[in-house]
Amino acid sequence: MNPVRRLGVGAVAVAVLGTAVPATASAAPVITMSGSTSVAPLASLLAKGYLKDRRLKGKLKFKLAQGGSDVGVADVAAGRVSIGNSSRDPKDSDSGVVFNKIAKDAICLITNPANRLPNLTQNQIKSIFSGDVRNWEDVPGSTVSGPIDLTVRTAASGTQDAFQKIFLGPTKLSPIASAKSSNGLVQQTVKGNKNAIGYVSQDFTSGVNAPAYAGVSCNLANAKSGQYGGVRSFYMVTRGAARGGTKKFISWVQGSKVAQKIIATHWVPLR
Amino acid sequence: MATEIRTPGTLPPLPPYVPPGGPRRPPRRRRTGESLSTWRYGDRVAFALCWACGLALCLIAAAIVVYLGVRGVQYLTFTLLTTHPEAGLDQAKTGGFLDPIVGTVLLTVIGIAIATPIAVGTAVWIVEYGRPSAFARAVESGIEIVAGTPDIVIAIFGLALFQQHLFAPLSLTADGGAVFGRSFMTAGAMMSLIALPMVFGTTREGLQAVPAHVREASYGLGKTRIATIRRVLLPSVRSNISTGMALGMGRICGDTAVVIVLLGATLRLESEGSIPGFNALKGTGSTLTSYVYNNSPAGEGNAPQKAYAAAFVLLLIVVALNLAVDVIARRGSQTGLQNGRLGA
Amino acid sequence: MLERLRAPWSDRRAERVLGALASLVLLVIALMIVFVAVKAWPTLRNNHLIGWLGFGGDVDAQISDQVNGVGRGGDQFAINAGPLIYATVLTTAVAVVVGLAFALFSAIFIVEFAPPRLRRVIVPVVRLLAAVPSVIYGLIGILVLAPFVNDHLLPDGRKRSVEYVVQLSGTSLLVATLVLTVMITPIMIAIITDALYSVPKSWTEGAVALGVNRWRATWTVSVRAARPAIIAAAVLATARALGEGIMLSMVSGGRGFSPNPLDGLSFLFEPLRPLAATIVENVESLNAPAIRSSVYAFALLLLLSSFALSVGGYIAKQPMKKYGIRV
Repeated sequence: MNPVRRLGVGAVAVAVLGTAVPATASAAPVITMSGSTSVAPLASLLAKGYLKDRRLKGKLKFKLAQGGSDVGVADVAAGRVSIGNSSRDPKDSDSGVVFNKIAKDAICLITNPANRLPNLTQNQIKSIFSGDVRNWEDVPGSTVSGPIDLTVRTAASGTQDAFQKIFLGPTKLSPIASAKSSNGLVQQTVKGNKNAIGYVSQDFTSGVNAPAYAGVSCNLANAKSGQYGGVRSFYMVTRGAARGGTKKFISWVQGSKVAQKIIATHWVPLR
Repeated sequence: MATEIRTPGTLPPLPPYVPPGGPRRPPRRRRTGESLSTWRYGDRVAFALCWACGLALCLIAAAIVVYLGVRGVQYLTFTLLTTHPEAGLDQAKTGGFLDPIVGTVLLTVIGIAIATPIAVGTAVWIVEYGRPSAFARAVESGIEIVAGTPDIVIAIFGLALFQQHLFAPLSLTADGGAVFGRSFMTAGAMMSLIALPMVFGTTREGLQAVPAHVREASYGLGKTRIATIRRVLLPSVRSNISTGMALGMGRICGDTAVVIVLLGATLRLESEGSIPGFNALKGTGSTLTSYVYNNSPAGEGNAPQKAYAAAFVLLLIVVALNLAVDVIARRGSQTGLQNGRLGA
Repeated sequence: MLERLRAPWSDRRAERVLGALASLVLLVIALMIVFVAVKAWPTLRNNHLIGWLGFGGDVDAQISDQVNGVGRGGDQFAINAGPLIYATVLTTAVAVVVGLAFALFSAIFIVEFAPPRLRRVIVPVVRLLAAVPSVIYGLIGILVLAPFVNDHLLPDGRKRSVEYVVQLSGTSLLVATLVLTVMITPIMIAIITDALYSVPKSWTEGAVALGVNRWRATWTVSVRAARPAIIAAAVLATARALGEGIMLSMVSGGRGFSPNPLDGLSFLFEPLRPLAATIVENVESLNAPAIRSSVYAFALLLLLSSFALSVGGYIAKQPMKKYGIRV
């Protein structure tokens, strides 16, 4: 290769890597987080708020990866990251990790806009989702007729775990329910099928009808006041008790007023 | 009329020749060959089937391209191309996909940079040396196996492999002492496995197409085998290598499974470590394919508009790579030593 | 030292270096098989090596138990992946058979009957379609095709008739197989077209000179001569269809259900989930030991089937060698 071409190749390589490299390359301490995609927006806002509130810009770095609650818990248990974000409760098989609750999130039941179901009691939900009640004609208040199409989440989902614990209790979910792998898929399925019923996180209720649960409608205000019963917790998981910079961050999240204000924008703060 | 003597040069101009039966019309284009009526019934059915399949193919291709084009133009804005993605709640309003585009380019470059030397070297070894022949057959079958392996299997193999402590320098090591195992380097290494069969295949075909007398001429002049390879054969298969590289890059651009599993799933490019340049490779990020997947209803992004825009950009990149393949292949067939034609 | 590297290499050194590169490739491939097999061993051992391939119980319930870490000891590895394997075989077989027929006739159309202007356009378009990423096909499937099938092709009465067993919806066997066929056909068209072009023209001209019509000349001469390429195209397309995970996880309905052809038309609308799509959906739970070894067992099965596929293709091409066709 002649020298000019070699120079050209070198320039291109430097340019490609240069656009990929952020400006700073200092040795600031890093807090790495990985885990749930539902907690990720909250974690990103909290990280930015922490750096601003404690004036640590440039002195601390946050890295936020996603991948799912299970990935987060596994990563933190193996020591691959400092904090794991989890939207599900601790399982029996999670050993050696501590689940620190940071916020709460409401789970709403949703039906198609054509089905203006106003309210569902817990017994009704149990009988619908366990498969005892199969037709919309048998559900008082529904405005459609036909077989009930159950739309749930897959087993690995924290939302599914929370739904089972909060709404169903010991009742088993019907085996013919159609399991989707994300909130978006459940929302899209329910939007497109007038016989469908499902459950999503509270931010995914646009374009669908959200019936009230036990008389309390599903919105942020009711969840914050504690009236709405269907709330699940978000956790930041650490390996053993939190230490050092991680401990300071988590206690800031759980304690400081600034953090609670950030959480209150879309989620339910702990106090 | 008595015969008049006319001197030459004074003849009046003759009227234009009109053949009997009227002026000559331009010949009507007759369909040469046979007409369909002479065919057997079964052949006529097959003919109709061919036309039906061909037209269906055109329609489907047009539908896909036009639909993506319409949706992409509808949702693609300049700000989307130049802003960083945000992990915001209302994905339809916040952030763009600059980092995924950079991630795609970076990952493709890494993957093809690792794959090409290995693939070309292996192809040269198999065509030129290839001893013992059982080993050569094993290597060829092995590359065929890799070509047929699902990309998700390659991804989970990469995850298992790169979380061993031996590969700690390739990704970040947390204070807990475990290896994260997911970074551009690890994803690039697995992507090179995906691009390897393409480059290997085209290079081997190119080398096999170089006629024997070219090699013999070089040996006759006293060159060693390796010098022949370096100075005569490799320059002549340059276009084949480039075609293979472009095909491999197309395959890397379009792969989602390896990215989802091995690239760390951070929305932005996060680098790791303090060596400038290398820290981006050790860091994590996302690419256009994982971005489309996460913003479609199958992921949590809930923003189909951005998914369409990113899919459109991805399609443009693939089209550009395909055009490059066509141009290189056409230019290469006009030059080069294959098919017995000597010339530069 | 650079001078020593830049000095002319001896043939023996070059051969050793290049051989080392080739053995690196073989090493990586062997490593892949070994790693996957080792991680899959608990499932194989606890299910008598092949017992997990059969039917029995609800595979979705078994998978969710494994994800949640229910069960202890050898029992937690029990799984019956029959419905997943059946779904894989069903979608792959239908897609490859329909796609191969479609590709063959389209290739003959392109080579023989297409007007030259159309041919100049369609050949690059086919190559482009072959290179479109699978996530884009999945996007179109889930945002356009599945809602269309759900709204317009799936009548309420049919849903009601099977409501006690399974829920029918747009993401189903029909959409999954359709998108898979559209995905693998362009590759086959490209390969078969190249093969038909490379048949020497004198062969077909000889047939035409004997009075055979164009279709019959192409079919009996060119297509017969291109049989090794048709088999190669089918093998390539089958490998791609077997391994397609991302697109199928988006459009295939997400339930480990075995669609029953005896259900009549409902068969087309029943959900299913092939092996690769199951791996994609469970890739985030890989830390729980039971689901991890199940997922790696699925991966091992896919690896072995792609290996069997190339062996099968090789064997199928052997009888054609005796006609002097380059295999």
